[in-house]
Amino acid sequence: MKTYDVIVIGAGNGGLAAAATCAKEGLSTLLLERHNIPGGSASSFVRGRFEFEPSLHELCGVGAPDKSGQVEGMFDRLGGDVDWYTHESTFRLVVPAKEGDDGAFVNEDGVLVTVDARMPVGFESFAQKLDELVPGSYESCMAAFDLSTRLFKALNSLENPSQLPGSLKDIPDIMRMVSHTMSEALDALGMPKKAQDIFNTYWCYLGSPASKLDFLYYMAMLHSYVEYGTGVPRYRSHEMSLALDKVIRRHGGDIWYNSEVTKIIMKDGKPAGVVINGEKEVYGKYIISNAYPYAVFKDLIDEKDTPKKQLKMLKSRKTACTLTTVYLGMNKTKEELGIKDYSIFIAPDSDSDKQYDVAQNYKSGYCIINCLNEIIPDCTPEGTSQLFLTTMTFGDVMKDIRPQDYKKFKTEIARDMIETCEKALNISIMPYIEEIEIALPPTFARYLNTPLGTPYGYMLEKWDSMLPRTVQYLSDQPFDNFFFCGATQERGDGYGCAYYTGEKAGNLVVNAIKKEGK
Amino acid sequence: MADIKSLKARKFINVLSHRQAKFEVAQAKFPTFSDNASVLAKALHPKRQYLKIESILERGEDCKSYTLVPDEEKGTTALAYFGAGKYLTVFETIEGMPVTRAYSISSSPKDSLEGKYVLTIKLVGGGLMSRYIFDTWEIGSKVEVSAPAGNFEYQPLRDAKKVICLAGGSGITPFVSMANAIADGDEDFEMTLLYGSRNSDCILFKDELAELEKKCDKIKVIHVLSEEKGRAKKGTEKGFITAELIKKYAPENEVYSVFICGPQQMYDFVDKELEKLNLEKKYIRHEMFGEFHNPATQADYPSEVPETVKITVTIQDNTYTVEGKTSDSVMQTLEKNGIAVPARCRSGECGFCHSHLLSGKIYVPKHLEYRRLADYKFGCIHPCCSFPLTDLELSVPTAK
Repeated sequence: MKTYDVIVIGAGNGGLAAAATCAKEGLSTLLLERHNIPGGSASSFVRGRFEFEPSLHELCGVGAPDKSGQVEGMFDRLGGDVDWYTHESTFRLVVPAKEGDDGAFVNEDGVLVTVDARMPVGFESFAQKLDELVPGSYESCMAAFDLSTRLFKALNSLENPSQLPGSLKDIPDIMRMVSHTMSEALDALGMPKKAQDIFNTYWCYLGSPASKLDFLYYMAMLHSYVEYGTGVPRYRSHEMSLALDKVIRRHGGDIWYNSEVTKIIMKDGKPAGVVINGEKEVYGKYIISNAYPYAVFKDLIDEKDTPKKQLKMLKSRKTACTLTTVYLGMNKTKEELGIKDYSIFIAPDSDSDKQYDVAQNYKSGYCIINCLNEIIPDCTPEGTSQLFLTTMTFGDVMKDIRPQDYKKFKTEIARDMIETCEKALNISIMPYIEEIEIALPPTFARYLNTPLGTPYGYMLEKWDSMLPRTVQYLSDQPFDNFFFCGATQERGDGYGCAYYTGEKAGNLVVNAIKKEGK
Repeated sequence: MADIKSLKARKFINVLSHRQAKFEVAQAKFPTFSDNASVLAKALHPKRQYLKIESILERGEDCKSYTLVPDEEKGTTALAYFGAGKYLTVFETIEGMPVTRAYSISSSPKDSLEGKYVLTIKLVGGGLMSRYIFDTWEIGSKVEVSAPAGNFEYQPLRDAKKVICLAGGSGITPFVSMANAIADGDEDFEMTLLYGSRNSDCILFKDELAELEKKCDKIKVIHVLSEEKGRAKKGTEKGFITAELIKKYAPENEVYSVFICGPQQMYDFVDKELEKLNLEKKYIRHEMFGEFHNPATQADYPSEVPETVKITVTIQDNTYTVEGKTSDSVMQTLEKNGIAVPARCRSGECGFCHSHLLSGKIYVPKHLEYRRLADYKFGCIHPCCSFPLTDLELSVPTAK
C-alpha cells in the first residue's frame, strides 16, 4: 500500500490551498473530499438558465490590475488560472428609519432612512465621504487607515527581514491594535459613534460585532476592500476551486471525490492514515484537516486518542454564526429592478452590536443583498439578473423545526428576507422571480458537515482573536504530524483567510518533510 | 484629540495568557449542544435508504405500484420526508452491471412520515431497469434508493397560485403526489390537471384522481384521450394537449404556471403549443427529460464519428480501459462494463456524476447542458449525457 507524504481531509478552500501547495512542492499528495465537487462553500449550482454563486460575497484580496492582492497572489504563486473581475466599490449601508428616529430623511430611493452610506474606494475618498455623512470623522478615519497601512508594512517586513529595523517603531501601535476591540480603538481615535457604525459595516463578514472584534483584524480586512475594491471570479467560485483542483492534478497530486474520511488510523499515538467510506485504508506521513476539529474528534478519532487540550478547546469555544441565503434568478435586469449597487447592507439598526443582538434569531430585518450583474454584466442571459440575499443567525435557530415543517419554514424566511429588501430599497422583487433556491443552516450542514451548519468556524472573541490564534497556532495542533486549516483556524472565516491557513499548513508539511530528507 | 497611545500595548501579553487560561479551566469533555440543523440535514438527505417491498399493486398490464417501507435490519428506521414532485434513484445490479434509474415518488409526503413511499413504474419497451423490476421485485424484496431529489416542485414565491399540470402516461406520478399534498394541506395551490392517455382504459390512478377531485376543491382533473372511440365523456377531452385546450382550462386575466411531466415526444409537442400562449419563462416548468438515447438523431451531431471507442477511466487508485459504442453515453458504457459510477438523475441536470475529461472529445445534446461555466473551462463533464466522439480518458468520482 502506498504511503502518501500528506493526506488532506476536505477540499474546501483551506484543503485545496494546502494540497496545491504540497503537490506543487513535489510531495505525494492525496486530497479527499466527501462531496462530488471541490470547494465546500466555494462552488456554484445551476437552476434553469441561471448559475448561482453559493457563498462568495466579495474578495478583498484580488487587488487591482497593476497590483495583486493576497488571494490573487496565492493563485499566481500556485499557477491557478482564474479570470478576475474587479469593481471599484465597497459597500452601501441602508438603515430604514424607525418611528420617532431623529434625523431621519428621505433618500434617493424615496425611503425614509436614518443612514444611507454608499462608501467609495480609496482611503481619502472613503474618509471624505464619511466626513460628509458624519462631520468631524475625517481625521479619525484617516488615522485608522494610517494604522492599517503601517500594519501591512510591518507584516511585509516580517517576510523581508532586511527591512525589519525600520518598522520596529510601529510595533507598539500594532500591539495596541491587536489587544483592543473596534469600539475601544475607534473611541480612542475619537471617531464619532455614528461614523463608527458606518465604518464597522463589514463586521458580519467576520461574525463578531464591534465590541468583540479585534481592531487589527477588522482593519486588515477593511483596508484591503478600501484600497482595492471588490473582486470576484468570472465563473462563480467553482472556477477558483477547479483552478486549484487543476494545480493539484498538474503536479501529480491525487484528488478523490465522493471519498469521505470515516476514521483516522492511529499508530503509536499519532495519526498514520485514514479510512475512506468505511472500507478503504490509505496511509500518510502527515495529515492536514480542513474538516472541523469538532467533526474530527466526534467521528474520526476515538476519545482515548484525543489530546485533552483538544476537548478543552472544543468545550470553551463558541460556534460562530450561521448563514441563510436566498438565490434569485430574476426575469428583469438590475436596471429594471432599480438596483444600483453590488453590495447593500440593510440593517434594522446602525450599531453593529444591536445588529448582532437582533441577529440571534430570524426575521431580524438584517439582510445583505448582492447583484452579481453589477460586476459581471453578462453573468445571466440578456434581460435577466441574479440576486443573492444573505442574513445571519447565531445558535440553533432550527430548534423545534421538524422535517415536515422545513419547506414551509424555508419559504417563510425567504419571504421575510425578500420583503425586507423590497421595503428598504423601495423596489419590487417578488413578481419577477424565475428561479429561487433557499439555503438554511441544514443546507450548509449537509454540504459542509460543520456544527450548526456554520461556515465560519469559532466565534472570534476578544480572548480568541486572530493574533493570539496565530501566535499559538502550533501549540493548538493535536499531533506533531497533523495540522488543521480553514475557518476554524487563525483567521476565522472568509475565502482569503481559509486559503491563507491552507497554504500555511501546506508549507509547514513541506518544510518538515524537507528537513526529514536532510 | 484622543489618541491610539491611550490604549496599552502590553495588554496583548495578557490576551495570550488569558487564552491559554480559558482553555485550561475548561472541562476535558466533548461538548454537547442542541444542533437541529445537523439533525435535519441527515434526516432529509440520507446517503442511502434501505427499503423493502411491502405490497405491489398492478395497474393494468404494464404498470405496477410498489409500496416501500424501511428495512430496519439494514439500518433504515425512518424515511426521508420530501416535497411532492421529488424522485428517488433506485440502485440495482443486473447481471453484474450496476444500474440506476430515477423514479418520481407517487405517494404523498405525508405517507413518508408513516414509513411509506410508493414508486409507480411502467414497463418500458426495451427498458433494462423496468424489465428487471417487473421480473424480480416481489413482496419482501430489498431495494436500495437515494434520498429524495429533484427540483420539480411547487414553489409559492416563484409559481402562480393556479397551476395547469400537463401529464403524459406514467408522467402522472409526481402530480399524484402533489395532488395528495394539496389535499393534505402540505401544499397550497390550485391544480388543474390535463392528463393525456391513449384511451380511458390506459388511465393510471383513475380512481385515486377522481377521489382526490371529490375530496378537495383545489384539484380538477381532465383526461385528454388521444385514441378514444365515440364521443368524449364528461370531464374528458379527445385529442392531444394543445394550446387551445390549455387556454380553455386556464384562468382568464390571471397568471398561471404550467408544470409538465411526460415522455420526450410529449415535451416536443407541448413545448411548441406553449409557445403560442406567450407565457413568461418563469411560469413553465419541466420535469427532467430522462435518459437520452441515439445522439446521432440530433441535428448538431458531428459526422464521421467512429462506431466504437476506447474509454480509460480512473476511479480513486484504479484505472480501467473499456470499449464502448458512440451511441451509448459514457455512463452507460462504464456500467455495461461493470464499473459503478455516481448517478442520480441521468438527465444532465443534477450534476452528481460530475467528472474530469482528461483527453478526447464528447457530444452533449443541447437540451441536456446543465454544466457550470467553469466546467467548460476546466474540462469537466456529466457522463450521463456525454457521448464519446473519440477515445476518452476520464477521472470519475467513486460511486456513492
